[in-house]
Amino acid sequence: MKLFWPKDIGFDQAVELMRSKDTFTPFDEEVLLFTKALSKSLVRMRQMPEVVALGYWLRKANIQDMKKKWEEQNKDRLIKPRGIVFHIAPSNVDTIFVYSWMLSLLAGNRNIIRISSKEQKNELLDLILTEIAKPEFENIAKQTIICTYNYEENIGEQISEICHTRVIWGGNDTVKTIRQIPLNPMANELAFPDRFSLAALSAEAVMNMNDNDLDELLEKFYNDVFWFDQMACSSPRLVVWCGKQIEKAKSRFWSAFENKIQKKQYELTAASQVLKYTTSLWLATESEVKHIENSKYFSRIQVTDLPLEARERHCGGGLFYEYEIESLPNLSKVILDKDQTLAYFGFTHSELELLVNSISSRGLDRIVPIGQALNFDGVWDGQSFLKSFTREVVIL
Amino acid sequence: MTIPYHLTKAEKAPLLLEKLNALTELHFERSSEYRSMIEKGGYPTTANNLEEVPYLPVQLFKLMDLVSVPKEEVIKVLTSSGTTGQQVSKIYLDKETSFAQTKTLVEVMKPLLGGKRLPMIILDTKSVLNDRKSFSARGAGILGFSNFGRKHFYALNDDMSLDVEGLKAYLDEYKGQRILLFGFTFMIWQYVYRESLKQGINLDFGDSILIHGGGWKKLKDEAVDSTTFNRLLHDQLGIREVHNYYGMVEQVGSIFVECSNGHLHTPQFADVIIRDTLTFEPLPNGQQGLIQVLSELPKSYPGHSLLTEDLGTIKGEDDCPCGWKGKFFTVAGRIPKAELRGCSDTFQGGKRV
Repeated sequence: MKLFWPKDIGFDQAVELMRSKDTFTPFDEEVLLFTKALSKSLVRMRQMPEVVALGYWLRKANIQDMKKKWEEQNKDRLIKPRGIVFHIAPSNVDTIFVYSWMLSLLAGNRNIIRISSKEQKNELLDLILTEIAKPEFENIAKQTIICTYNYEENIGEQISEICHTRVIWGGNDTVKTIRQIPLNPMANELAFPDRFSLAALSAEAVMNMNDNDLDELLEKFYNDVFWFDQMACSSPRLVVWCGKQIEKAKSRFWSAFENKIQKKQYELTAASQVLKYTTSLWLATESEVKHIENSKYFSRIQVTDLPLEARERHCGGGLFYEYEIESLPNLSKVILDKDQTLAYFGFTHSELELLVNSISSRGLDRIVPIGQALNFDGVWDGQSFLKSFTREVVIL
Repeated sequence: MTIPYHLTKAEKAPLLLEKLNALTELHFERSSEYRSMIEKGGYPTTANNLEEVPYLPVQLFKLMDLVSVPKEEVIKVLTSSGTTGQQVSKIYLDKETSFAQTKTLVEVMKPLLGGKRLPMIILDTKSVLNDRKSFSARGAGILGFSNFGRKHFYALNDDMSLDVEGLKAYLDEYKGQRILLFGFTFMIWQYVYRESLKQGINLDFGDSILIHGGGWKKLKDEAVDSTTFNRLLHDQLGIREVHNYYGMVEQVGSIFVECSNGHLHTPQFADVIIRDTLTFEPLPNGQQGLIQVLSELPKSYPGHSLLTEDLGTIKGEDDCPCGWKGKFFTVAGRIPKAELRGCSDTFQGGKRV
């Protein structure tokens, strides 16, 4: 086990220290100052756009907004934090643990965070450790443990026994494995398994826009897709085309997108190129795949349906399934439980609502304009963090 | 003229193209999976030149079964060597393809080994051959090369220790004769060279010729290249002639073997094309890229044109100082692994981190 925070004491001592302090009240002043300070240093990390996005999310205005909404919702209610929240962070999207932790902290909880041990150098973590060590955040510092450990060490068992909420990030296998570890009977659990995400575009809207607007749209689409090499659960992997001028819209969109990627100097590797090529040929053997096309920056797979297995074969790095529909509600029949985010362009709110109402599976938790697919929010996978991280005390 | 390294580009290309086009056609008809890939990808079944012949990535054989004969005609299944937990390639052979592989291997090696069977030492354990229906890459290699030798002696015990006494006795018995040594590069390095160095065993393999293959990946970590390898083997074991070969379980038989100048050569049955690592466009000689291998042998599975994950460079064609015709090339090693990681990777590669 390696303890990143607190420094110079052991794990058991750290837990004792954590419990020696009262929990914060939701949106405590010290916590607000901490998020503000953290935000300021995160937005400076220009070379890491996902860290900047995190910093932006933590900015004062956004947190105040969150606070205001929370207060409105909980007027006349008595809300308390749950106690100790145990966060198990994924290894790739390393900003996730901060979102999870910050929301829990805003709710007033003590936090134990297990981060992945893989990375030798973690600039984000270094920055956080610098902030939390400042004297003005002493109370937060005492109620925070950031660590990593091997699963053989049974630390996960210990923490699961003492925590009041367990948050599992990291896909189906992780969720299954961690769920075998007994959880404190009083605790609740939030799990974030593998998800799949898509984008839907109105062909007419794509045809009707001018080149500048298209470029702006593609800039946003690029970020949605490539920030995490199309491997984040909310990165679009399926592109749905809707309308009558689909062929024209596709060709306009993809050729402009190719230029965009080229300008962005997206880093391709031999291994990911071979992987995309392999995956596309593998998919070609399925009956619902009509046509495959491999080009330098992306591979396109035309499908007439998208069963779960095809979703699971997706390899990231610029592979797009494409599906055509005449009108948006037709999309509902291909939506599966696994589907999380729909990034859209060219649809009205009522069209989107109609779509949601015609979906009979568990699918779709987020519907956002293209460009916001990766934006983290206090409601994720259909669950509100602030709700799950708190409890309501009833006095009659 | 050294058969099968006797054809110039102008003579070889049309012959090979015709055979490869026929194979594309054959697999297109007999393998519905292959047909889907070609049709849905819009690839030509009749290519106008070798570069146009559609190629499958070798990885694909790890993901799915690709076979162009009825299951009951399969007599052997070859599997690639993979570390534990990795998926392995499965290559299905019928009688015809298996026979063609054996026959071709003989022709490919003949210029180096001659027509007579030599006393043969296999620098490996006999136990890799235990299963007769399913062969690992090591087993398939040993079995293929066994045909060149007689009085086969396996130099490693089942626990990978060197059978020093047995080796000495064997070398005594065939003193003064040319001996064929065969093994896998890493096995030879680890269990023969290093062990004999460690134990201070001095062996003299006399007038022997060593043929070895299987890749340099593990030796690269120790910064051992082929020149060093050859020198150390000469110094420690007295092996005077060493030829590396490049081949893979997905294309057994039509392997590429080093000439006396240390270049890997393409025989008349096979060819290599170097492609840009990002666009897969063919590259001119002298530039490094992904190696595509072509072979006229695979009839029972669609493996006549394969894109490997190895990097190589064509050094020239028809003009190697050794006198052999055809393309000659070098292999620089495997491309680095893909690093794309998903949200689901709290546990990586089966190992809990």
